[in-house]
Amino acid sequence: MRRERMASMRWVFVAFAAIAVGLSTSVDVFADSVTVLYDDQVIEIEETLSDPNDLWVLPEDLPRVNGFELKPEGACLLELCVPVLQDRDSEMFVRRDGQGWFNVTALSRKLQQAYRLDHEHKVWSFGEIPVVRRAFLNSAIAPDFELPNREGELVRLSDFRGKKVLIVTWASW
Amino acid sequence: MYEELGGENFEIITVAQDTLGEEATAEWHEKSPLTYTTLIDTAHRVSSLYNLVNVPSGVWVDEEGNILRIDEGTYSEPIPFGNNVFVGTDDYRPAVRDWVMNGPKSRYVLTSNEVAAQIRRRTPDEALAEPTFKLGVYFFRQGNEDLGRSYWEAAQALFPDSWNFHRQDWNLTEGLGGPKYREKRGDLGEKPYYKPFDFPEEP
Repeated sequence: MRRERMASMRWVFVAFAAIAVGLSTSVDVFADSVTVLYDDQVIEIEETLSDPNDLWVLPEDLPRVNGFELKPEGACLLELCVPVLQDRDSEMFVRRDGQGWFNVTALSRKLQQAYRLDHEHKVWSFGEIPVVRRAFLNSAIAPDFELPNREGELVRLSDFRGKKVLIVTWASW
Repeated sequence: MYEELGGENFEIITVAQDTLGEEATAEWHEKSPLTYTTLIDTAHRVSSLYNLVNVPSGVWVDEEGNILRIDEGTYSEPIPFGNNVFVGTDDYRPAVRDWVMNGPKSRYVLTSNEVAAQIRRRTPDEALAEPTFKLGVYFFRQGNEDLGRSYWEAAQALFPDSWNFHRQDWNLTEGLGGPKYREKRGDLGEKPYYKPFDFPEEP
């Protein structure tokens, strides 16, 4: 009798635990849509791991966030690859229920890329990535950019390759 | 200058760095009859990429995408400001003309090492000011002006040498050349408002 009650108590506990786990899993994965500001883009990311200090995204969202791509050898952008262990959990990569998650802000710290979070609105704003800017800082190669003209058409600096270009910033203020 | 030099081999790209976008700049664009390339830069992207801190600032880029000069105040003629001629110079225009005419042989063209030495380097605080300012732009454009402004103020505290950050904010609070602007200009002392031209002597 007592044994039976213990067993049923145990089932109740398991049921509660299952509900709790279910809830926390759904909160973890689905409740945190965030906004990312990088490279003049406003990027909406639907699914992130719930973490007040770090931005964890699905590997397939990484290119939209900062141009990097998660490959077997690591997080790569052009010829640059930052090694990322993917067969076990690490600072930069974890697996939850079989789904891999990538830590964008851990990569930023490794690359000394400044970032700032607005906690309340879940907006992550990222600065320039210094290593990507070596060609500019060390060799004076003009960084490319894309901006709208007055008609809203996007224009790139590199559209003018083959011409001399004088860039002049100004403002109404 | 564009009328004289623009065309096949030379382009002027003006980048209007205003969080209010065309709303703030249309009037100025209408006044200009020229057809150079005019771009709208609400988040100060070009200044962020090229480490510029004030407007107007000029960058020379050659046919292959190499920077030949950077970070110079480019008022092409003296602009009266108050009772004194305050900003601007006649020196810049002839230098640009010389470059367009003579290309790499122009005495105004710098080597990549010389240019690299002139690029402003950011401290960690100054680097953090960039994403902070962008948060301000984002919230400002969302209509959350108070929050936007609080990030702008944080960016100004992190990067006090960026006139761009001060002036974008102050213009929207107190208008052109208001008291905060005049006070900070006054505080400069011997420090230049624009980096002075460092042009070679006449041969």
